[in-house]
Amino acid sequence: MIIATLHSWARRNLFANLIDSILSILIVTALGWLLTVFLRWVIWDAYWQRIYESLRLFLVGQFPEDQTWRAWVALALLCTAVGAVLLPWSRRLGVAIWLIACGAAVFVLVPPGLDRWGGLLLSIMLTVVVSTASLPLGILFAFGRSSRNPSLRACCTGYIEVMRSVPLILVVYWIWITVPLFMPEVSISSLARGMIGYTVFNAAYVAEYVRSGLQAVPRGQREAARSLGMSNWTISTEIVLPQALRVVQPALVGNVLDVFNGATLVFIIGLMDFLRAGQLILVDPAASGQTNEVYLFMFAVYFVIGSAITFGSRRMEAHMHRSTR
Amino acid sequence: MMVASNDFGTTKVAFDKVNKFYGPFQALRDVTLSVTTGEVVVLIGASGSGKSTLIRCVNGLETFHSGSLVVEGFSMPTIKDLEFGGGEKALRQIRRGVGMVFQQFNLFPHKTVMENIALAPMRVRGKSREEAQATAMRLLERVGLRDHAQKYPGMLSGGQQQRVAIARSLAMEPHVMLFDEPTSALDPELVGEVLDVMRELRTEGMTMMIVTHEMAFAREVADRVIYMDKGAIVEEGPPAQIFDKPISDRTRTFLSRVLKH
Ligand SMILES: Nc1ncnc2c1ncn2[C@@H]1O[C@H](COP(=O)(O)OP(=O)(O)O)[C@@H](O)[C@H]1O
Ligand SMILES: [Mg+2]
Repeated sequence: MIIATLHSWARRNLFANLIDSILSILIVTALGWLLTVFLRWVIWDAYWQRIYESLRLFLVGQFPEDQTWRAWVALALLCTAVGAVLLPWSRRLGVAIWLIACGAAVFVLVPPGLDRWGGLLLSIMLTVVVSTASLPLGILFAFGRSSRNPSLRACCTGYIEVMRSVPLILVVYWIWITVPLFMPEVSISSLARGMIGYTVFNAAYVAEYVRSGLQAVPRGQREAARSLGMSNWTISTEIVLPQALRVVQPALVGNVLDVFNGATLVFIIGLMDFLRAGQLILVDPAASGQTNEVYLFMFAVYFVIGSAITFGSRRMEAHMHRSTR
Repeated sequence: MMVASNDFGTTKVAFDKVNKFYGPFQALRDVTLSVTTGEVVVLIGASGSGKSTLIRCVNGLETFHSGSLVVEGFSMPTIKDLEFGGGEKALRQIRRGVGMVFQQFNLFPHKTVMENIALAPMRVRGKSREEAQATAMRLLERVGLRDHAQKYPGMLSGGQQQRVAIARSLAMEPHVMLFDEPTSALDPELVGEVLDVMRELRTEGMTMMIVTHEMAFAREVADRVIYMDKGAIVEEGPPAQIFDKPISDRTRTFLSRVLKH
């Protein structure tokens, strides 16, 4: 039965005519060959011992060994946070738990010093902090840019357009340099400055997504709310913003992925994120033969995390639609 | 039940020579009109004749350029007032006393039926959640939707949504209700249930301004029918006069066109 179905499917899709048949055979053969070669390398030829030995560097960088428990606690907290926003319960509660759990994760990781964060730990924490901080900022700028007040509107528009027209590295580097110049008496770690710079940059993108969501809310929604006598504050927070965020939720999750992938650029201010850790491992002459292993490993990790974020986004979308169908 | 005592004399809404422009286009021409307490006024006219613009002025969704409009004793701020930052307060004061029902329902899709109705009383009138929800439940019962309180608007039919929208307006205990083509977006078989709710409001003495193309309904409920064309009031009077012995040729032409269908 299944074979018959498969047979007719193949007939219809792969062997509909002569050219299709030839193409199908060629592609299937080529793919099969590549896969065989690849798997053979992965299973027999690759030297995974190196990855295993460097795992610590990959995952937490120079984080003190006797403090590793902090990383585990932070991981558990982050999983709680993610779970809270994925579960189809009250969104308000989900956001509250997210904020508390992420804040606690930062709190737990701080004592050894921000400069000790590295590897995947750094990449993930950077992503979490920057994405979380960008959202409220982005929302404020989006409202500012849609405001009726011309000077406020001009300021927000200017900020957004400038940030969107320059590279991330420039902003991160610039803030890294200038913050100590303005505040010479306090020392702020590179990572904190990097987070500030990245947030300042990313908030502009979030603002544009949110603004497109604000525009997507039908005019009748505001009119109905106004005719009920609601204040502008109530209209914005209860009626317009929730609907706007629903519309742009996929884009915002995509932005989290962008932040995660872009986080590698903080090496410019001397931080060692996940990708940088891999490069450092390869600098060691003993490991120079394992380029492929190291890169394949990093590929796999990025792919898994990226897919997880995308999957999470789908789930959020799904139960959002279920509730407002 | 919802009609509060009238503290402002018998005139609820008074337009005096109101003019309104969209750029160079004049949408309202010297509109003078007053509505007394408990009166049901139906506006008819071709599409684009300014009916929506007129009733949207009553709760300040549209501003006007000249003339005056007094609603329940409050002077509607003009465009100039609002430009200089004033008038916002008067506007909200007016809106508390005026409910509006739209052609497209405009329910809040991310909130349940109950939340749709209870939100404004809580946020605007400062009622407690319990009180607001109790009122909402009473109103839902009244429009025959008791069992739908926890549903989202998207799960209801158009007629049900419009009845929820009416309940939502009534929850603010308005003294005047505005209806802008409340049944135009509905399938024919759903029109009746909405009109029934409006009939009931009328028997309770609600002051209403209604834009509609349901001529039979207009004839039945209107105390006064107003025919508009090109932004101006052409003719007004009791339904029997407007529908059976219109004075103006334009009214006659319009009616002969719409009544044929
Ligand atoms: N926002 C607007 N900008 C420009 N013209 C408008 C706007 N709203 C309405 N109009 C014009 O004003 C006229 C009256 O519109 P409206 O009051 O909606 O008419 P009705 O409700 O009788 O169909 C129409 O010709 C319409 O094109
Ligand atoms: Mg209209």
